[in-house]
Amino acid sequence: MSSEYEPKVLMFTCNWCSYAAADLAGTSRMKTPHNIRIVRVMCSGRVDPQFIIEAFAQGADGVIVSGCHPGDCHYMEGNYKALRRMLLLRKLLGQLGIEPERLRLEWISASEARKFVEITTDTAEKLRKLGPLKPRLDYVRKIMEEVVK
Amino acid sequence: MRDKDVRIGVYICHCGTNIAGVVDVEEVARYASSIPGVVVARHYTFMCSETGQNMIKDDIKNLKLNGVVVAACSPALHEVTFRNAVKEAGLNPYLFEMVNIREHCSWTHTDRRLATEKAKDLVRMAVAKVKELEPLEEVKAEVVNSVLVVGSGVAGLSAALTLARAGLTVYIIDKRPVLGGFVTRLVNIAPIGIRGREFVKPMIDELVKMPNVKVLTNAEVISVEGGVGNFKVRIRQRPTYISDSCTLCGYCEKACPIEVPNEYEGKLTMRKAIYLPFKEAYPPKYVIDENACTKCGKCIDACPVKAIDLSVKERYIDLNVGAIIIAVGHEPYEPDKGEFGYGLTRRVITSLQLERLLDEEGPTGGRFIIDGKVPKTIVFISCVGSLIGNKTTNACSRRCCSTMTYDTLKILSKNPDSHIYILYRDIRTYGFEEELYWKALENGVVFVKFEEPPKVEVMGDKIMVYVREATINKNIVIPADLVVLFVSMTPSNAGEIVRIFKLSRTADGFIREAHLKLRPAETPTEGIFLAGAAAGPKGVMESVIHGAAAASKALALLLNKKYILREPLVAKVDEELCSGCLICVGMCPFNAISVKYVGERRVATVNPLLCMGCGTCAAACPSGAMEHNGFKDKQILAQVRAFAGVVV
Repeated sequence: MSSEYEPKVLMFTCNWCSYAAADLAGTSRMKTPHNIRIVRVMCSGRVDPQFIIEAFAQGADGVIVSGCHPGDCHYMEGNYKALRRMLLLRKLLGQLGIEPERLRLEWISASEARKFVEITTDTAEKLRKLGPLKPRLDYVRKIMEEVVK
Repeated sequence: MRDKDVRIGVYICHCGTNIAGVVDVEEVARYASSIPGVVVARHYTFMCSETGQNMIKDDIKNLKLNGVVVAACSPALHEVTFRNAVKEAGLNPYLFEMVNIREHCSWTHTDRRLATEKAKDLVRMAVAKVKELEPLEEVKAEVVNSVLVVGSGVAGLSAALTLARAGLTVYIIDKRPVLGGFVTRLVNIAPIGIRGREFVKPMIDELVKMPNVKVLTNAEVISVEGGVGNFKVRIRQRPTYISDSCTLCGYCEKACPIEVPNEYEGKLTMRKAIYLPFKEAYPPKYVIDENACTKCGKCIDACPVKAIDLSVKERYIDLNVGAIIIAVGHEPYEPDKGEFGYGLTRRVITSLQLERLLDEEGPTGGRFIIDGKVPKTIVFISCVGSLIGNKTTNACSRRCCSTMTYDTLKILSKNPDSHIYILYRDIRTYGFEEELYWKALENGVVFVKFEEPPKVEVMGDKIMVYVREATINKNIVIPADLVVLFVSMTPSNAGEIVRIFKLSRTADGFIREAHLKLRPAETPTEGIFLAGAAAGPKGVMESVIHGAAAASKALALLLNKKYILREPLVAKVDEELCSGCLICVGMCPFNAISVKYVGERRVATVNPLLCMGCGTCAAACPSGAMEHNGFKDKQILAQVRAFAGVVV
């Protein structure tokens, strides 16, 4: 791959913790990688695996799902549900020919701006090394449609 | 797409130079206007200003916009501002989406080109979402102007009084047969030294005389349904067996053959199965300890006013309340047998037993004696059950240090020859209570700092305490006549409460507040508030304040209101698509989803008053029937596709 390559990362954040951590990173003028795009949801438990499959199918090189620390969920247990779904989805991704490490689940509390910067920076670096996602797109799309159905 | 004729306005804020200094706002606006469906894209110095807001409002009216995107700061700051502006211009406020290009973009990036590209991507994603948004109506919830207070300790009493004085109907319940809670076991409420029973008496007296207050003792909540403004609570009240005609003559107590340790006297003395917990008790009548009573009936024969009926059964009471305040307090830590010598001799006691020994109306009539003798050398060990002991927590119990120093003064005033050692790891006599620490020092109390927990050895009559003094780094042996363990606060059946009310707990097991600093006395569940030591260790004064805080939050919610409006960002079922598998029911942490029948067909249905809007049911629904308003699958998927540059 060329040195020009920059991965595209989609990040789903919980409104109550990780989104606020990203806000705090900004308020504290910390530098984050510019290739992260955030989609705000109310809870990591809202993240339907089909969103992630769709993101990869559309050309995302990596996806981060970030919620509250275990025991801290604003809705009590949404993060545990996210954990179960993501563990299963990672297995499925492998079968689809997508490296499971392209999907990360992280716990970042509202006060952990530093952790937000570390996770996003680390993700961008790892994906840079991993190179662009080269899945068999048609195959993925077919599987995805089945999953969505 | 919701409408073929999408007309979206995009507004890019400069935020002075905060955004415009890094992001090329003109370029973003130019790009936005090229997105299909966008009819106008403007940029302005401060979108949140009057002029900025009017710009949006005028466009909504003149250009007949049916969707608005504002790219500015974090929605945490100005989502409400712009939503209101949209609403004032006559457009549904939920056809609006905010893009964060300040905190998430201009403030964290320096490269102008890359930051501008990112801002364009984020705007494109938001426009895609707005195309899929649907108008939503706020959920109108009727309000019942009454409050249930669970627990009648100082926090519960303080909350109930505040509410009742404001004129609301208040139900106050306690699982114990008398009101007053833990404080009734204390004799020295530091720093003022008032007896707990005298402390709560005026509060109880005022409360029970109010016509809008209903008291239920021996009562516990067994289930909760409904939501903010309109909870349906089922309460089980165990029988008290004794009617209000009881005259406190005490003949029943004399007739009763059963004896058990008296928990109101720190188990230092015995009481009968029928007993008066203490003379100031409310309700003012004898009570029967169900676990100890054999129903022999001797008390019935002894009672001159026929106040006792042992055939009474438990009863269930259904209440309808607008808010709930949980003030279930704490339990004192009970040391294991052998822990610091506890249970091996009567001369190793807990701080609560010490309280009873110092009470003029306690088992010794206020004479500070143990086993008939005045203890000369007394060792206090602090933080048992919090920092040291078999089970420890990270939570300081807050009230022990001041109580401990106050108790030394009390003991010295009774027996000036006493030698008192306080073994501590940290002394936290904060605020006004610092004075007690200095007084104790001046009066010759010896403070011994430890890092390793002290050891207590019981050898027949002798108690030896071994400790390594941390400041001089020397081992010390103290032959003691009495050892007092200052025990910590542990959560009071918090597990059961958390299960019934669907709340969560802290690492130490207390009930979790919505936000320690910003939302004290609130739980994450709207309409359920938290008061006192149930939320973590508190002193008496702090519990009174916390109770009043919880009450004022309940008042702000309910007072002079017929209904409240709730954000409609909740789950909703498409009954056509729902297959009735009910996976969603198990997903919901708030019991908001139930079963309903459409003809013969079983479908799920969401109570919008109970739904807190997390969306986990929508993520789990296999048929796409469960949708999360404002975060529907199609809305998020539109964002995801737009992320990759797909513009529909």
